[in-house]
Amino acid sequence: MGLGSDMAQRTLDRLLNAIEGDGRLDRPGHRLEKGLAFAENLLGVTRGRARGLLHGVWLGHPLHPVLTDLPIGSWTAALVLDLTGQRRAARTAVGVGIAGALAAAATGLHDWQHTHDNARRIGMVHGTLNTLALGLYGWSWLQRGRGHHLRGRLAALLGYPVIMASGFLGGTLVFRHRIGVDQSGRQHEPLGFTPVLADRDLTDDRPRRVRAGDVDVVLVRADGRIHALENACPHLRGPLSDGWLRDGALTCPWHGSRFELSSGESLNGPATAPVPCFQTRVRDGWIEVRRAPVAATAPPGSALVRQQEVRP
Amino acid sequence: MRRRPPALTHVREAPARQEPKKATRVLVEHHEVLRDLMRKLTETPRSEPGRRRALADELFDELWMHERIEEEIFYPAVRDITPAIAAAWSEHRQLSDQLAALTCAGPHTERFDRELGVLRDVLRSHAHLDEEQHMFPEIERFADEELLLDLGDRLQARLRRLRSSRRFRTLLRLQRALLRRTARSAAP
Repeated sequence: MGLGSDMAQRTLDRLLNAIEGDGRLDRPGHRLEKGLAFAENLLGVTRGRARGLLHGVWLGHPLHPVLTDLPIGSWTAALVLDLTGQRRAARTAVGVGIAGALAAAATGLHDWQHTHDNARRIGMVHGTLNTLALGLYGWSWLQRGRGHHLRGRLAALLGYPVIMASGFLGGTLVFRHRIGVDQSGRQHEPLGFTPVLADRDLTDDRPRRVRAGDVDVVLVRADGRIHALENACPHLRGPLSDGWLRDGALTCPWHGSRFELSSGESLNGPATAPVPCFQTRVRDGWIEVRRAPVAATAPPGSALVRQQEVRP
Repeated sequence: MRRRPPALTHVREAPARQEPKKATRVLVEHHEVLRDLMRKLTETPRSEPGRRRALADELFDELWMHERIEEEIFYPAVRDITPAIAAAWSEHRQLSDQLAALTCAGPHTERFDRELGVLRDVLRSHAHLDEEQHMFPEIERFADEELLLDLGDRLQARLRRLRSSRRFRTLLRLQRALLRRTARSAAP
């Protein structure tokens, strides 16, 4: 038993490493991304509301993993219905799964285009397997509609392990590569106000990188206030201090997530989590920052949390 | 040997052997070209939309060529030397997105100026803050000089080829036309 699971683990590890190390996937990957980029710019997705909607900014975490439950659940149901011989219900389940798979594909591609290296390659294989499964289930649905139930069942039987393998790769993306996971540092430093920069050295509307103890912080003076945010995008830790400032929001230079200066909230994705903010004040000509106390008994943005804000 | 008409031979083979340059230097010089175009564009007033459009189109072409030579030659060759390549690749995407936004804006509008300002910041972030300040020094320190010279040769050659490629130019013109058309139909 122990030996068996050991071997399974090693085999899976080797398989994942083989995918992650395969640079041949990069060229088609970047071609695909160029195509996606052009399509999104043409349709106005890049600047529009659809961008955040597809990433799941409104949800607080990525939308894609939510939608993947639809095809996996429906196709599992179809498998059961096939075994119990309920033909019409099985076909409906296959159809619902197809609709869910299309929605998952749209959100998945939208998220995938903003990933790097190894995760990107896993994502390529994940997407390819999903396309294959979608093809098989699509064919299954058509065949069932024409009365060829045996063919339809056979295609579904072939598609099921494909979608399972692909789901495993999706898990790899989240648990190994932390794609879609809030990557901001949740440290509680600095506890007390720490001087980081002379007040006169911070120019208006120019993000400035400073150190507060061990923490990288970006300072922005805008609208007469000094804002301090962690200098790492919660998406893939891009350096926000290299980003640009427009309309009270700071843009991550890597993937274009925009963050509201006053709250750290993401406005468009791919980052779905907010950037941690610091409290700031000016004493004796120095800008000081400290980590805002975490109100454990109040939800973020509530009155108790607001009371803790410090006016410089 | 196949014979070509003399005039064509002249045009195609006229440039003398290029002087050997390191890849990083070739790229910084091309950054300079881009910055120069950006400067000209900023200095051209709104009352000259024709010149603005022409300059923006030239910037579009040059930026695309820049991305193309970096992505096809430079990045694959140095990606085991510095871990910063994936991020740089993403920054290209930001440039493309912003370039699309600029293309969709009419050259006589205020929006054009706004998009141009953002494009300048995006370019500064990628070319200056990332590549020139961090990535290139790291590459120059760890890569063989020979490799960098060889890459420099290839970058220059590819850049020349792209600049004179009518197919590439047409493709870019088509992209711009499509972007403008959909932007116009979405606007009113």
